[in-house]
Amino acid sequence: MRTSQLLLSGSHALCSHLFPSWSFLTRSAFVARKPNYDHPNWFGVGLAFGTTAALWVLLFKHHNEDVMEYERRQKERQHKCTGCS
Amino acid sequence: MLFLPDEARSLPPPPLVNKGSVWLGFAGWTAALLDNGFNHRPVIRAGVHRQILFTTVGWFVGYFLTKHTEYIHAKRDRELFEYVKQHPEDFKATEKKRIGELLEDFHPVR
Repeated sequence: MRTSQLLLSGSHALCSHLFPSWSFLTRSAFVARKPNYDHPNWFGVGLAFGTTAALWVLLFKHHNEDVMEYERRQKERQHKCTGCS
Repeated sequence: MLFLPDEARSLPPPPLVNKGSVWLGFAGWTAALLDNGFNHRPVIRAGVHRQILFTTVGWFVGYFLTKHTEYIHAKRDRELFEYVKQHPEDFKATEKKRIGELLEDFHPVR
């Protein structure tokens, strides 16, 4: 922390004669905010639960399809072996 | 399916509760707990929606990973047994020797 503070103050000392304030040249998308847990992010919560439900539904569907396909193939194989008697 | 060939569907699909799913689901849950810890939130009581989501994602990925693993192993076993079948001279079962033939004769010294 101290090193970075020293570096910052050093560059400020070097370039401050050119531009006293750099803020009009740079723009940051990142603004640090202290999280406020009194107001929950209900959209985020809804999205999380919605995605969870969607994933479980997809998984159950896919698994059932797999099981049905496997059993269908097993039955096909049985039929081939015994033949049409 | 996108990432496995059609013959993989001839294998029995892994059950919904399988090793990969359980492990990755647990890993997802731990990741949510870690996220709580790093953000100075109560570790297990906070962000339950996040814990459930991460566990679900882990479970989902684990199922497909297990399926892929089983296919790769089945393919390898099939190729192995094919090779053994095609080269019987290399895999002759040795005749079992009876224990009486292996040991030396017993001459008691009393």
